[in-house]
Amino acid sequence: MTFIVTENCIRCKYTDCVEVCPVDCFYEGPNFLVIHPDECIDCADCEPACPANAIVSDSDLAPDQMQFAKLNAELAALWDNIALKKDPLPDAASWDGQPGKLEYLER
Amino acid sequence: MTILARYVPSAREQGFLDQVQNARYNREIITGIKKFLSGDVPDDMKSFYSRSELDALAALEDSDRDVQKRMPVKITRHYFEQARNSLPMQVLIKASPKETVDLDGAEDPGKQMDYSPVEGLIHKYELGLIYVASTCSAHCRFCYREELIAKKEVTRPDGTVAPKGLAQIGELIPYIREHNRLVAENGGRHPETGREKLREILMSGGDPMVLGNRNIAAWLAALAEAGIESIRIGTKELAFFPDRFDDAFLDMLDRFHETYPETNLRIMVHFNHPDEFLKKAANGTYIENENGSLQWLDNTRRAVRRLRQRNWINVDNQAPIIKGINNDPDALRIMQRELKRNGVENHYFFCGRDIVGHKAFNVPIEEAWAILNESQKGLSGVEAHARLSITHYKGKTEVAAVTNEPIPGLPGAENGVLIFKLLRSAADAPDRCKVTIVGRNPEAIWFSGYVDRVLFDEAELYSMYGIGLKGLDRAA
Repeated sequence: MTFIVTENCIRCKYTDCVEVCPVDCFYEGPNFLVIHPDECIDCADCEPACPANAIVSDSDLAPDQMQFAKLNAELAALWDNIALKKDPLPDAASWDGQPGKLEYLER
Repeated sequence: MTILARYVPSAREQGFLDQVQNARYNREIITGIKKFLSGDVPDDMKSFYSRSELDALAALEDSDRDVQKRMPVKITRHYFEQARNSLPMQVLIKASPKETVDLDGAEDPGKQMDYSPVEGLIHKYELGLIYVASTCSAHCRFCYREELIAKKEVTRPDGTVAPKGLAQIGELIPYIREHNRLVAENGGRHPETGREKLREILMSGGDPMVLGNRNIAAWLAALAEAGIESIRIGTKELAFFPDRFDDAFLDMLDRFHETYPETNLRIMVHFNHPDEFLKKAANGTYIENENGSLQWLDNTRRAVRRLRQRNWINVDNQAPIIKGINNDPDALRIMQRELKRNGVENHYFFCGRDIVGHKAFNVPIEEAWAILNESQKGLSGVEAHARLSITHYKGKTEVAAVTNEPIPGLPGAENGVLIFKLLRSAADAPDRCKVTIVGRNPEAIWFSGYVDRVLFDEAELYSMYGIGLKGLDRAA
């Protein structure tokens, strides 16, 4: 199945995950990353790499994050692949851990 | 933390890499027993584990005997579809409480960390093994790289403890170049280690074929640029997801060959049982062609054929002999015959390593030899190339022969003997084909099973640990 990028990535977008992904299955939007669920091979390398603890296995998805399974699948089809790490968004540190970030998701 | 040197591809290399395309693959992987427990799997997979099997596995969760802590459960759709009609394949892929009944074994069998001069490289012989991926499309329960796959911490020779890391191009390539430079300057031998030129690199893991084509291409090109003559890719993907060997992958290989025509590729595949690649009728028998040979799964055969159409690519099979999977002479005979007929060389069969939990999987050494020997009765010479190998700390060793007859007058040989032949010493070549002879022990599953009955030790498999000959021990 797959790992899923959840809400806490929004407005942080650290991209450490991209660097460790063996299959380059991350896709990049303006302020969020997603994992392509059909390309992810469940190696679990990205989970500990995320400084914002935003990546989880779909088996461990918290009830309030369930919608991110669908969002990852949907946005991966729209966005461009990202395979190289880049700088995080400028205010990443202050946004890390803030609640209710979904409303800021830019497509 | 090590700061990795930035690797800059040459113009030729970059020209090749610019042409490589990644493709998308949907392996339909299921990971974790939890999915089977909760029923969060496609309908036809719901009965793959019985209720009682699931209950038994769930009861062990988070205990010392948690099977998933030893090795996470993982299966592809393709493997599932064959495995539901194959008990041996189910033993290979389904977790079982038996795995953790006896956790005796080594976290780093073969003491690989002793041979690791840079992260992710095991440098033995003229061959180096590199870890380029830490996962596979599915997980064999008997995997001897479980410490890498399950991300366990291992103790290194310097006493530090950390998970095994993957090789990095920026770190590995300078090591190869420097090693080979010193070897060349010193007349063919490394001045300190005595090792030869690194001519061959085995890309392993994990399975390199889980990587995208661009990643694989970057490794192939960097290794070729560094002067590597043959590159091996160790993979079970032909069994787990043969569609990975698609147009985009073969196109990448062809462009690689155009760019580096002198670099040979050796695909080291891993079939354990013919059920993994042969078609079966409803009654469970294999389906014959007109001439009596057997029909392959279409996509597996297509993948093998397309690889073999390229005369600069070799395909070799090697597999351990594992209890409940392929400790079956008939299955091994069919597998060797069909692989050879389709252009796959039978390279090695292995005795299972002494990994943690190995007692659930390993067949005694003498039994494994007898099974392979029996399987090769009725095969022609070219079909029976495979040897039984067991990996000693000192190097790759063949179980060359097991006798049933006593050797008259030799104490310890009353029940016959087993002859080990050291094929290659890990450090350098002079010990090639030296032998060690031990008195038989039908229960032995590792070298340690013979410490009290060493009869002759030219290969120094035992004397290197201060273990003497049986006769001499008595004299002492």
